Amino acid sequence: MRLPGTRYQEHGWEHVRKMLGRSSLLAFAHLDPAGLPDALPLYVDLVAENLQDIDAPGNSYGDSVQELALTLVYELLARPADWQAFCAAVAGEHAKLGPFWQQAGGEAILRKKFNDMYAVLRDKVDSDNYQAACGRPCSPNRMYAYRMLDTAYGEVARIFSGWQEHSGQVSAILGRDVSAIPIEVRQMKSIGHCKAEWIMRWSESLERFGGAPGPLHTRSKRFDNLKDNPAKIADMLAEIGDYEELSANRDQDWLLDADAAADWMDDLHRVLAEAGAGEDEPEAAVSPPPRLVLAEETLPVRLAVYLKMLGGADDSYPDEWRDPATGELPTMAQLAARDNISLPTLRKRRDAAIDRLSRRTM
Amino acid sequence: MKTMQAIERKLQEKLLLARRVEGDSLVLADDVMLAAIAGSRAMTPEQAEALRQSPLTLRRFRQLSIDCRVAWQGSAGMLRAASNGPLDAIGTDDGYWKLHFVVEDHAWCVILVLEATAPFAARMLRDQPMLRVLDGGGAVILQGTLDADGECEGNWPFDLAPAPHFHACGATFTVEPVPRGP
Repeated sequence: MRLPGTRYQEHGWEHVRKMLGRSSLLAFAHLDPAGLPDALPLYVDLVAENLQDIDAPGNSYGDSVQELALTLVYELLARPADWQAFCAAVAGEHAKLGPFWQQAGGEAILRKKFNDMYAVLRDKVDSDNYQAACGRPCSPNRMYAYRMLDTAYGEVARIFSGWQEHSGQVSAILGRDVSAIPIEVRQMKSIGHCKAEWIMRWSESLERFGGAPGPLHTRSKRFDNLKDNPAKIADMLAEIGDYEELSANRDQDWLLDADAAADWMDDLHRVLAEAGAGEDEPEAAVSPPPRLVLAEETLPVRLAVYLKMLGGADDSYPDEWRDPATGELPTMAQLAARDNISLPTLRKRRDAAIDRLSRRTM
Repeated sequence: MKTMQAIERKLQEKLLLARRVEGDSLVLADDVMLAAIAGSRAMTPEQAEALRQSPLTLRRFRQLSIDCRVAWQGSAGMLRAASNGPLDAIGTDDGYWKLHFVVEDHAWCVILVLEATAPFAARMLRDQPMLRVLDGGGAVILQGTLDADGECEGNWPFDLAPAPHFHACGATFTVEPVPRGP
């Protein structure tokens, strides 16, 4: 499913989730389970290092599985509440089972907890992405509902395409007996042609045709606001369909060149200045030049900041920053060696520097 | 030094966009932000403060700013049916631009004029991007930036007068921003 701005709603998500699960288990082995609540920065670093370099596409916008996984784990860093929820879930399990991660089958329990955390996170991230992209309000629960409807449509389409074997279920969905091929089956070419009533009747009758209760007919309150609201379901189906059509017809997003990409910040500075928000220097108030904030840090610490925030291979890095052997920034281990400090010390100094930069931003 | 600024800007942008607030929502309407971006209505101090406090709204602001910047990518026009006498003006199909032709000291001059009603007029006057006018064959008729009156003037660069020149190259022309150099 595609919607404006979303990145984590297509089939590639399964690969992203698996990659994050694998890297998280590797990372967890290096963490102190008793100190989990404070271990978020280290966890994020370890996961980032462990992500496999797989270029497989994770969505139809051209983001790779690895890029999507990295972006999501960095989102976690900015949303510590989600990490704390994970820590609480681990602590709860630990209270019942003891150090379950060391026990047989414990890895699966731990992986499930990571999966749960990222499942919540991806819908938070994508509902924010959606709002930023199109200006309409959204929530993680609404994102989840879009996906449920998209999946439900897929099921209805599958049943329609095998209408002869599923004639009973097709009758239940259409609300009338079918003998010959129903016209609806021919007409439903995309989710935009799927009627809300079909989704509702599919959900209502799902249990009868050998499935579990349909998503609109479980005892969960999750979809309460959709259960008796065909107009709302119809709107959401139409929105998915419209965007699918739009994004399929567009060759590519109009891309700004790298220098122009940050020009929106000029608008921001001007708009804040024009609002007379009580600042003499709106530019400095929005975000003071990093070189001033980091003036007292050594070059390796400053490079570690850039490495974490922008990655090793940005086009704009000055040549003297780059490792001649790779053409990229030096690795964390190399930077630590240059300053004669340990890797954990470099991480701490880097994170403190990023924290200082963040606190002086806006 | 240029690279230094570019990389610092990227870091600043990353820092701005990396902020998250639990339970954040869009706190300003699009039209408030669009008016402020276009320069037609400044934000109140309260609105500016709301923008500062909501990273999600800031990300929406960024999207709107980018949309505005890419919204005008050029305008095209055409010389309509042949008229009697010398050509004095033609406009683009979208109505945002006019080309005026005048004779000064026995030589043709061409003046590009931005219509004040163009949606990007305020931004264009403020940012003064480099613009160019091309004929149907891709040759540059005029290149430069707008003055405070929204005009840009230059000598007519061809041997033929405007009307016959346009007729000789497909009768069309375009006004467009000059792409940034490398």
